[in-house]
Amino acid sequence: MNHPRSQYAHLSEPYLAIAIVVAAVIVVLVVFVALRFREGRPGAPSRRAHASVLEGAYVAVLAGVAAVLLVMTFRAEGRVDAISRPPALRVDVTAARWNWRFDYPRYGVTVPGTDTRPSTLVVPAGALVRFRVKSLDVVHAFWLPAERFKKDANPSRWNTFELVFHGPGRFEGACSEFCGLRHADMRFNVEVLAPAAFQTWLRQKGAAP
Amino acid sequence: MSAVGAGVARPLPRTRSGPIEILAGTGHKSLGVRLFVTAFVFFLAAGALALLMRTELARPGLQVLSEGSYNELFTVHGSTMFYLFATPAALALGVYMVPLQIGAEDVSRPRLALAGWWLILAAGATMWAGFLTAGGAADAGWYAYEPLSDMLYSPKVGQDLWAVGVLLSALSSLVLAGCLLATIVRRRAPGMTMLRLPVFTWSMLVSCLMVLTAFPALVAAMALMYVDRNWTSVFSGFHGAIEYQHLFWFYGHPVVYVVFFPFVGAVAEVIATFSRKRWFGYRPFVLSLMLFATLSMSVWGHHMFTTGTIANKYFSLTSTALLVPAGIEYFDSVATMWGGRISLRTPMLFALGFLVTFLIGGLSGIFIGSPPLDYHVTDSYFIVAHFHYTLFGGSVFGMFAAIYYWWPKVTGTMLRERLGKLHFWLTLVGVNATFFPMFFLGENGMARRIADYPSSAGWTGLNELATAGSYVLGLSMLVFVANVWVSLRRRVGSGPDPWGGHTLEWCTTSPPPRYNFAALPPIRSHAPLLDVRERDEDESVEATT
Repeated sequence: MNHPRSQYAHLSEPYLAIAIVVAAVIVVLVVFVALRFREGRPGAPSRRAHASVLEGAYVAVLAGVAAVLLVMTFRAEGRVDAISRPPALRVDVTAARWNWRFDYPRYGVTVPGTDTRPSTLVVPAGALVRFRVKSLDVVHAFWLPAERFKKDANPSRWNTFELVFHGPGRFEGACSEFCGLRHADMRFNVEVLAPAAFQTWLRQKGAAP
Repeated sequence: MSAVGAGVARPLPRTRSGPIEILAGTGHKSLGVRLFVTAFVFFLAAGALALLMRTELARPGLQVLSEGSYNELFTVHGSTMFYLFATPAALALGVYMVPLQIGAEDVSRPRLALAGWWLILAAGATMWAGFLTAGGAADAGWYAYEPLSDMLYSPKVGQDLWAVGVLLSALSSLVLAGCLLATIVRRRAPGMTMLRLPVFTWSMLVSCLMVLTAFPALVAAMALMYVDRNWTSVFSGFHGAIEYQHLFWFYGHPVVYVVFFPFVGAVAEVIATFSRKRWFGYRPFVLSLMLFATLSMSVWGHHMFTTGTIANKYFSLTSTALLVPAGIEYFDSVATMWGGRISLRTPMLFALGFLVTFLIGGLSGIFIGSPPLDYHVTDSYFIVAHFHYTLFGGSVFGMFAAIYYWWPKVTGTMLRERLGKLHFWLTLVGVNATFFPMFFLGENGMARRIADYPSSAGWTGLNELATAGSYVLGLSMLVFVANVWVSLRRRVGSGPDPWGGHTLEWCTTSPPPRYNFAALPPIRSHAPLLDVRERDEDESVEATT
């Protein structure tokens, strides 16, 4: 399923767990060693300056950790970036300084935004949506924080991706690639509707049957 | 004091340099000091801009800045930190210390090195002159993506001044790195083989190699940006936008290692010296530096995971692999301390602080090396937190370890220990209070480079904490400046070797005389003075038994 939010949750858990364990071990180790081997202890400092076997084994462990992380990452990325099935719905996202336009080409529906009123992206819950995103001017980025996903809106070229929204619900999206004076205001609303409500919304917008 | 320090030349009497010597003197020590002081002034100036930004961000709404001036501030803050502070400061350490560590009289091509300082002065004057123009300073960010930075979207003169300033700073780094590399290759004292170079010199060598391979891409990017803005279109359309990103990040990733390695090297010297032990695992460490440098030349695409134009898996592989050399450095640091006799003076505190705070930057770096995780947090405050933990928690902590460690050598005086410890603890608290909340802000959806955020977002508390932390950091810098001022006004002499150093710079006077050394000890390892000390100890043990 092209559901980055669950992929993100799934993948960030082991990453975070490993990071927290490593951080705790190293901080405790550094503090312990710094206090245990304080000056004033009797005897001269050790002169040992290498432990090749131990260090080699440690490097092998590091490489193993890297390999495990990469396998998990590649699997998750395969799912998030998959573009496989014929999509039920297409939405074209057009970014321009400093607002968004959402087109539903199959239905002839367009939702424009203005500089003072952010536009609203309306999508059905539980259905696969194929997005195409591009920019009319500088590089922008289409960010859905609630879905843990973003994609750059490049000038004069479409970027394609697919998402499934669990819904219904409302949240905010934003441009996350700096695009000039009013970048901070380049936000949009997202409204996830139940499938029937979405069909109603399309008809209200004058969708061509 | 060992016998080594005895037959050393006396320092020249202290003389006040005239303006000609200050501007045109070529000795590597005074040049290193001038370069470093210049870079440090830029550090303080860019830090002041950061405090202004944090003040604006403490609350939703616009209180002290406009959106336009905020954009100028973060652009000049980031640009100054990278182009005018971090790289020149790292290279300045090398200009001063590398000849001393390898037993040389001076750098190779000292007049070229002098030009490196002039270029950085010109670069800073050019970039900051933007504030004096009618349109204001550049405001397209420190990486100034195309087409945002082109003449259509950034018509101001400040953007041209920025591009020229960045180009000059890149040229400065290139000539300085060339001089240092030539010095290391050609001016080593008899007996100083490549595998006896001190660890700091090795880290400098690897940095210089990266400068020479990566910075030409920045020169090209800036020259093309100038051509595109003023003469003919270069970066138009989709391909131009993405090609600029490739050119920029081919420089822009290696540079973070260029401004990191020399401080890793300095921290390694500090840890070894203050543990009274030889640096552990010298050969694996040198290898790990080379591996680090090689990998870091091949990870630039991880800045472009969301462009939809990149082989994400490849760049994820190279980026994640960086944990191997980084892990080796942690192993060697802890193993060096193990079984040592550790003295927790200020340089060592900053070195330990480096290990702990850089760790958070490094671990978060592994996190964002994974594209499905990066898709969410890139260009958010999570990234701001991550790279400030690496650059402030890493490089700046390392820089202060280096300053407190080498200050006696450079000035012949000691910095005050109590002020130094106060400086350290304030910096440690400040850096974590400022940057740790940013991980949560980014995760919660706060984009970077925004002057304002909705009060409904619930980000106010964490932003207030970050702002308070930044004021603590500002205070810690004042404590450091006060320490410098007090220590220079009321001098406490340091003698040639106050710490029991391992490397050659500690066997000459502080500051060293014009040509550095009257005599050198035999060089049989990367820690020649420790060799001498251990031999003396062994002989005295034999004599008593």
